[in-house]
Amino acid sequence: MDPAEVEFLAEKENISIVPNFALEQIYMIGGDLGPFNPGLPTSVPLWMACSLKQRQKCRIVAPEWMDVEKLSDKKQEEVDSKFFTPMPSRHYLEVSQLLLQCATDDIPRADEVKTLIKDIWDVRMAKLRSSIDIFVKSDATHAKLNHLTLMEINTVRPFLTSALNLLHDLRSNLTAGGFASQD
Amino acid sequence: MLIKDLKRDFYDAIQHQRVLILVAFDVDALCACRILQYLLQCDHILYTIVPVSGKEELEKAFVDNSEGVQHVVMINCGATIDVVELLQPDETVTFYICDSHRPVEVSNMYNAVQVKLLMKADDLTDVPEFDEVFREDDESDESGNESEDSDGLSKRRKMTDESIARRQDRRKWEENRNKVIFDYTKFSSYGTAASLIMFEMVWKMSKDTNDLVWLAVIGVTDQFVHFKTPRDKYMEDVMALQSHVSRHNHRGEEDESLLSVNCLRIVFDEELQLSLYRHWSLFDSLCHSINTACKFRVWTLKGQKRLHEFLAEMGMPLTQCKQQYTAMDSQLRTSVKTMMQEHMTKYGLTMQDIVLPSFWAQYGYKTKLCASDVVLACAAVLEGVDKNKSATDYFLDAQDILQRSNTGWLEKGVVLAKRQLTALVNQVQTFLDMHQVISAGPFLYVFVQEVCSALLCSQSKVVF
Repeated sequence: MDPAEVEFLAEKENISIVPNFALEQIYMIGGDLGPFNPGLPTSVPLWMACSLKQRQKCRIVAPEWMDVEKLSDKKQEEVDSKFFTPMPSRHYLEVSQLLLQCATDDIPRADEVKTLIKDIWDVRMAKLRSSIDIFVKSDATHAKLNHLTLMEINTVRPFLTSALNLLHDLRSNLTAGGFASQD
Repeated sequence: MLIKDLKRDFYDAIQHQRVLILVAFDVDALCACRILQYLLQCDHILYTIVPVSGKEELEKAFVDNSEGVQHVVMINCGATIDVVELLQPDETVTFYICDSHRPVEVSNMYNAVQVKLLMKADDLTDVPEFDEVFREDDESDESGNESEDSDGLSKRRKMTDESIARRQDRRKWEENRNKVIFDYTKFSSYGTAASLIMFEMVWKMSKDTNDLVWLAVIGVTDQFVHFKTPRDKYMEDVMALQSHVSRHNHRGEEDESLLSVNCLRIVFDEELQLSLYRHWSLFDSLCHSINTACKFRVWTLKGQKRLHEFLAEMGMPLTQCKQQYTAMDSQLRTSVKTMMQEHMTKYGLTMQDIVLPSFWAQYGYKTKLCASDVVLACAAVLEGVDKNKSATDYFLDAQDILQRSNTGWLEKGVVLAKRQLTALVNQVQTFLDMHQVISAGPFLYVFVQEVCSALLCSQSKVVF
C-alpha cells in the first residue's frame, strides 16, 4: 500500500469544525453532512474540513487528544511499557500532519504538538524494529502485536514480507539437502 | 459609475462567471491581483490574467481574450482612458476598474451601465458635475425648426430668435465645458492603492488573512517608495493597515508559544529609510538610498568624507560598516537606529529622512523582511532587461517573489535591486561630473544619451 493511500483512508476520520456559512444538509454516498450554520460546531470528515479551511469557510476545532499534556503523558506511557499502547486515534500521524499543515493557526502550541507526535512515532517504530529482530532470530512461526496503526504496519510491510520470503527460501534450501545442484 | 458596496455590486455579480483580469506592470497592481486571485480561488471562479504595459497592449489583450467573457476587471489601468470608446465592447460586457491613477476620465465616471469604478468616494471629489460635461442633444430640435418652411415671416423671425438664443447658450456651455475639462485633466496624480481597496473588500467579506494584510502593506509601501503619494496620505493608509495588522497578530503577544513559528507574523515599527540595508552593508546602503545620498552628496569627495565622519561620530567601526549587515556585532545593529537619530541634525538630515513608520514580516526562522525591501526587489524583477524573456515572464517571476515559500526568488530580486540602485547612483554621478544638467527656467533637465544596460527601466525616479 502506498502511504498516500493510507492518508486517503485516514481522511475519513471525523473532525469538529465551526463553519461561517450556511448550507442545508447534503446527502452523499458515505453519509449525510450538515446542516451547516454559521457559528455552530458540526462534525465533518477530515477531507471536507481541510478543503473548507483552505477556502476560508470554517475554523477547525483541534481534536481533544491533540493537546500537549495528554500527548506527553501518552509518550511517557509508551516509553514505559514493553508492548504497544492503544493510540488516541487509529490514524494519529496522518490526521495530525494534515491538520498542522492547513490549520496551523487553529491548533494551540502547534510546534510542541508536532514534536511530541514525532517522538511517539519514533518510540513505536523502534519497538517495532526490535520486536521484528527478536522474531526473526527466535525462529518463531507467528507473532501477535496489538494496537498497531495502519501507517506503522504499512511502513514495515514491504520489507518484512519480502525479507521473510527470502529467509524461508534460504532455509528450505539448507534443509532440502547439501547436494542439490545449482541448476 | 462609482459603486459603493463592493461586495454586492462587484463580487456577487461575478459569481459563477468567467472573468478577464487586465493588470498593469507595477507592484501595487501585482499585490491587488494576488488578493483578487486568492478570493477567486476560494470561490472557484474561472479567471484569466493578462499583464498589460500600455494602451496598445490593453487593446490587444482585450481583443484576444474577450470571447465569452462578460466581466472584465482592470487593475491599475483604464481609469484615465475612455474604455468603452477605445475597446468597442459588446453591450453586455461590464468593466470593473480598480485603478489608482487620477484623474478619472469623465465618460468612465458617468457611464452607469458598462463601467463600474472600484474606488473610494473621497478620492473623487473634484470630478466635474454631470451637467457641466454632458448635455442632452437638442440640435435636432433646432435644425427641425430651421428647416420648417411654413407660416409667416414673423413666426420665422421669432423662431430664429429663439434658435439664436439657444445657439448662444450652447456655445457658452461648450466653452465652460472645455475650461472645466482642461482644469480637471491638467495634473495627474494617484489615489488610494488598488491593493488597499481590494483588501478592504475582502475584509468586509470576512475572508481576510494575515497573508492578504501583508500584500496590502506591500502595495501601499510601493506607492510611497516610488513617490506616487505624499507622506500624509501614506501615513493615513498605514494607520488603517495597522489596525488590521494588530487584529491578526495579537495572539503572538499574549503568550509567546501560542502560535507556531511557521505562521506569518507582521509587526509595525519605525523603520530606517535605508534601502535594502539588511541585505547589504551599512555603508553601501547609506550611499545608495536616495535621502542620505543626496544630503551627504556622496558623489563628491567632500561628501564621502562627511559620511565617514558621520559614521565615526556614531561610533560604528568602518570595517564593520563595509561588511554585510548581518555580520555586524549585534550590539551595533540594535543601536544603529538610535545613534542615527541622535546625530542626524548636525549633518542636515531630518527625522523624516531617516525613519519611516512601516511594517516588517517574519515567518519561520528566516530573516526579517521589511516592506520597502520587498517592494524594491519586486520592482527590480518586473523591470528586468533580459531580451530572451517576454514581459509576461517577468510578471510571473515577480508574482513568485510575493509567495512566501520562494525565498530563492527573493534573494535574486534583492540582487537585481542592488544592481539597479548602484547603476542609478553611477549614472547620476556621471551627469553631475560632466555638468550635463541644464537649467531651463523653472526646472532642470538632463538628456540621457548613453545608458548602461542595468538602467533600462521605466520607473527609476531621480530626485535632485
